[in-house]
Amino acid sequence: MSGTLSFPSQAWFECMAEQMRGDEPRFRALGPVDCAMIVNVDLEGGRSTLHEVIFRGFGVHSVRELDRLEQAPDSHFVIAGPLEAWRDMLDNIHARNGADLEHTLNTLTLADDPLRVSGPDQLETDAFYRYNETLQRFFDGAARVETSYPVSPSRKVA
Amino acid sequence: MAQYSPTVQQGLERMFEMTRGRFDLGWMDSNPVGWGHEAEPGPVGLGLRDVETGHYARVPEHGSSHGSMAPRGSFVPAETPSLDMYDLNDRSEVWSDNAALLYDEAVTRQWNSVTDVPWHKLEKLPDDIEKAVCQMCTNLTEVEFVAGDMPARWMCRINHDFHEVKLFLATQIMDEARHLDVFRKRALANGGGLLMASPGNEALLAAILQAPNYTTASALMHIFGEGFVLTLFRTGEFLAPTEVEKTIFRLCMQDEARHVAYGVKHLEYFLARHPERTEEIHHILDLGEEAIFRLTLEPQTLEPRAILAGKGVANIQLGMSKLAFLYNKQVREYLHRLRIAGLDRVPRLKIPQELPSLELAA
Repeated sequence: MSGTLSFPSQAWFECMAEQMRGDEPRFRALGPVDCAMIVNVDLEGGRSTLHEVIFRGFGVHSVRELDRLEQAPDSHFVIAGPLEAWRDMLDNIHARNGADLEHTLNTLTLADDPLRVSGPDQLETDAFYRYNETLQRFFDGAARVETSYPVSPSRKVA
Repeated sequence: MAQYSPTVQQGLERMFEMTRGRFDLGWMDSNPVGWGHEAEPGPVGLGLRDVETGHYARVPEHGSSHGSMAPRGSFVPAETPSLDMYDLNDRSEVWSDNAALLYDEAVTRQWNSVTDVPWHKLEKLPDDIEKAVCQMCTNLTEVEFVAGDMPARWMCRINHDFHEVKLFLATQIMDEARHLDVFRKRALANGGGLLMASPGNEALLAAILQAPNYTTASALMHIFGEGFVLTLFRTGEFLAPTEVEKTIFRLCMQDEARHVAYGVKHLEYFLARHPERTEEIHHILDLGEEAIFRLTLEPQTLEPRAILAGKGVANIQLGMSKLAFLYNKQVREYLHRLRIAGLDRVPRLKIPQELPSLELAA
């Protein structure tokens, strides 16, 4: 297991990419991927983060933090939502060694709440559906990582 | 000595000549323009797009007139007989720029219902939920293979020069076989069984199978039908009561998205070259939209989904309001895909963009 990594951060996504590399036979069995995923996390105080993960072949080609969405390649899709929703998903994955029925990417995005998927056009958004199993396994890598989050006032009170 | 037909006799004489060292070897230099070709494997292996370069990438606007199965890029002897079966000879009638990519993706992202679904995780479900799952699977088993029958009907008419399209359609047929198979298996595997077939679905299936030409059939099936089914699969994953259905729907969703991607890019390619045929596409979509809306009148189609969305027959009304949201999403995505293909369907839409029950739910 890796040390504690903060989500969202470039290091966290690079760790997921590393896990994907370490589990290549499993991802190879799922088939190749060719897409750019942008993860948008809405933080407290109206701030948000953007991380671009480019998938190529059976793994991640690159990870970088973006200042704004316009820096992303033309072909991309965005998964966006508040930190709380991301945290619930990742904590669930970590606790169960994979997402349970209520916390898969598709379940969390289908009703556009708490997460939503969008893209410059519908075909780009459809890439999220086309590669969904691989993307799910990518995030399931969180099961093997201790993840920390920016402190949220609501969590502190709780 | 045995008597053979003239053809066999001629063959024997030719073989006898060869034993005396008299070979032709003309085939060796038959295709100088196609010789010396090399291909570089991409990061995942040697894909179709990696080999279809240079001479071999030249896809004619009008398929070869020899009408044979001779491979594109080979030397075709003048005496090659026509098979007289290819009448989809214009590239615009079938082509999609992503066909080769989608073929490579399809063959490398294959799965199977025998070992890739965690069947051992099936569990006893409440009766209403099991019946709803089984009815939904009955429905999907009925409709899925239209997307196998439809390409099969047209594939043998597509000129062999457009092999990328034929190969992609072949993967689609296999995908649909798997879908039929996996939904039937799920219905039969957990103490339930198949329930009621859907006469309403047959009208839509007939419209797809009886479409007057390939492009209208493709618009109706790949973009309209499979687009709606894609959202239905997403919904199925969302509604799934166990990991088994969740896995099934997620895997099927991936396949369906490839089919939709082909359909959108084919229609885009076609309409860019034949804007005068826009009305044909609108007309077939008119039929499809009305046919699919008639399904809402069938209890066996809508009610199981509402039960699953409400997590039980006691909450079926709540489930209906959730389904209304999903219907709106289905229509929105359908219209967006058509817009990418170059078709503004909004003014012609025959069905509501939003269901009024959403307002009731709110």
